[in-house]
Amino acid sequence: MHFKFENKILYHSVIDNLMKRKKVLALTLFAAMAAAAQGQGLLGGHVTGNVQLDGQMSSADSTIGAQDVPEKLLLNARADILYTNGDFSAGLRFEMYQNPLLGFDARYKGQGLANYFVAYNGERLSVTAGNFYEQFGSGMILRAYEDRYLGLDNSLFGLNVQYRPVDGVTLKALAGKQRIFWEYGDGLVRGVDAEVNLGSLVKAIGESKFRATLGAGFVSKYEDDEAVPAAANPEMRLNLPLNVGAASFRADLGYGNWSLQAEYVRKGQDPSAMNGYIYRPGEALLLGLTYSQRGFSASLQAKRIDNMGFKSVRSQSGEMLYINYLPAITKNHTYAFLSMYPYATQVNGEQGVQADVMYKIKKGTLLGGKYGTDVHLNSSVVMGLDTTVTGGAGTEGYDVAGGLGQTLYGDVSVEVAKKLSKNVKATVTYAYQVFNPVVENEPGSLHHNNIAVADVSWKVNKKHSLRFEAEWMGSDSHYDANDPEHNDRRAGDWVMGLVEWNIGTHWFISASDQYAYNDGTGNYPSVAVGYTRGATRLQVGYGKQREGLLCIGGVCRTVPASNGLTFSLTTSF
Amino acid sequence: MKKILLLIAALCMGNAIMAQNATLPQNITLRTIDGQTVQSSVIQNGGRPVIISFWATWCKPCNRELNNIKEVYEEWQEETGVKIVAVSIDDARSAARVKPHAEGNDWPYEVYLDQNSDLKRAMGVVNVPHTFVINGEGEIVWQHTGYQDGGEEELIEHVRQLLK
Repeated sequence: MHFKFENKILYHSVIDNLMKRKKVLALTLFAAMAAAAQGQGLLGGHVTGNVQLDGQMSSADSTIGAQDVPEKLLLNARADILYTNGDFSAGLRFEMYQNPLLGFDARYKGQGLANYFVAYNGERLSVTAGNFYEQFGSGMILRAYEDRYLGLDNSLFGLNVQYRPVDGVTLKALAGKQRIFWEYGDGLVRGVDAEVNLGSLVKAIGESKFRATLGAGFVSKYEDDEAVPAAANPEMRLNLPLNVGAASFRADLGYGNWSLQAEYVRKGQDPSAMNGYIYRPGEALLLGLTYSQRGFSASLQAKRIDNMGFKSVRSQSGEMLYINYLPAITKNHTYAFLSMYPYATQVNGEQGVQADVMYKIKKGTLLGGKYGTDVHLNSSVVMGLDTTVTGGAGTEGYDVAGGLGQTLYGDVSVEVAKKLSKNVKATVTYAYQVFNPVVENEPGSLHHNNIAVADVSWKVNKKHSLRFEAEWMGSDSHYDANDPEHNDRRAGDWVMGLVEWNIGTHWFISASDQYAYNDGTGNYPSVAVGYTRGATRLQVGYGKQREGLLCIGGVCRTVPASNGLTFSLTTSF
Repeated sequence: MKKILLLIAALCMGNAIMAQNATLPQNITLRTIDGQTVQSSVIQNGGRPVIISFWATWCKPCNRELNNIKEVYEEWQEETGVKIVAVSIDDARSAARVKPHAEGNDWPYEVYLDQNSDLKRAMGVVNVPHTFVINGEGEIVWQHTGYQDGGEEELIEHVRQLLK
């Protein structure tokens, strides 16, 4: 068993009792599933789920900074089992990290039941007891979610209720504690949220071109007192707020082809390890304006975050125990070099804009050719806040002026995709990027990168298809192992080539190489083979992997260099 | 160890039960691209088959699949009456881009947002793209993960089998 319970906080009785009864609950669940299985004819219901197994072997390679893996083989495994019978469902998840793959937190080491719940999902009422995931609005005051590839799971363990009294009105209420590795954080999270869709409520609006959804949420965190010294006088301890509240107001409006989304959130005094125990309230604003029609769309987004890191345990740093989620406003690039320097949200303060245009040039026109051409433009800029520090722990921390702080990130990219013939498709991308290492808490000056990608797929015949990818990156950064400001292995100029061969719809084989040809270091060849049948997929790879950041949604995890075999098996049933 | 054995037992039971098909979850909350909240029971096609495709704006194979299907979708509809429902798993970072993305690509599909991944979890999806073939009774008859060029042929073949 890998569950440790901290029973000292007796007044959180409901939640704690639930947690103490974890074993009992889990067994009850199994019993329910077994009963259902045996009595298929009587009870009905069905079981669905998925299983994933990832393995890794790695040996030392000084040229890329890969370390030896003493265990020889690292394994991550998980299985989600969900039993559903009408409106009732029950689920559990088994996880194993023996030992965790490179880049996963060592505190995951172990195995056991990581998640379980029972739920009722009726037409008007939904109730979940146990582990659950939830989001209020865009998640800026509350988002319990998981990302298995980031090794991130901040699911709440408690009770979640959703009630829809009439069509167009959704009310939510929840309370629980957050998962951190194999335990739950001490902080108690409570929240309520209401959302109203005016079109469903008022017939005249529903029949008009006007659309409006309004929402508001409130989240409160409770945590015991602890001794934190004040900056001005280390002999004095801070008078910490035990309850920290955060509220959000949001609107999603539309008229014809236009839509406007806005969300404003505000958080009370929340001194924490993340913000250096300052008492400045937090706030964040997210705005989005979109115009879209068939074949054309344009959108503009703006975001401003000021001291909005919100965790259920104030002493936590790192990526765990976040109550809220602050999305990155930059485009989620997928090509290797475009995502080599990914942007990660700066929860303590940032402001940025993103513009995005998609246009389909019609077929039969000069630029459209026989099949039409897709053009996609995107640009984003993120700057720091214009702050003046006024004090340390125990003070307001800083003042903010209306101007711009330092440049954190900027990029502009243009992508053109075109079907050249019946069987050949090509996509070319060019991007210019500015990256400030401070985003990753690293020293150094701004990097300026030029990136070009060509991606061609060729359907050779009914059974075989090939895909070629060539990438280039020119950067003004350089690598020097002995200089802490320049020992980033991503530095320098790079080329990459990739060939992927798809055989039928079941097999693929690929080979690729990334090589720093100037001012950099490292050569990263790798091969992979994959087999897919239905909802089962097996992939085996061998090669070198660059150390770097794996980022999903603006949240990142550092992945160390590796050199060797990897495999991954997933299946859904 | 006991737990692992139990789990294996549970898995086996799962397979035994799969003899009867799992059905599409009914009361999972989704959002339309116009921001309206709906329950997953809206995914239906008047007794004819439905293909559900889980996708994301940032997922290249998902976009290849949905764009390739677009070219044959009219023929598919004439032949089988199938309807395609594209469920986006984009989170707050890119959710605002789902509508412009779908319309910019001129997709003729019904598109929903599953921002909290509720339907994704309920249907056991691990990675996108992940497609399901649902028969007229709402039963899941086939599912597939990943996309390789030509994969749409296998997909429609499973829809055709429903009509036999």
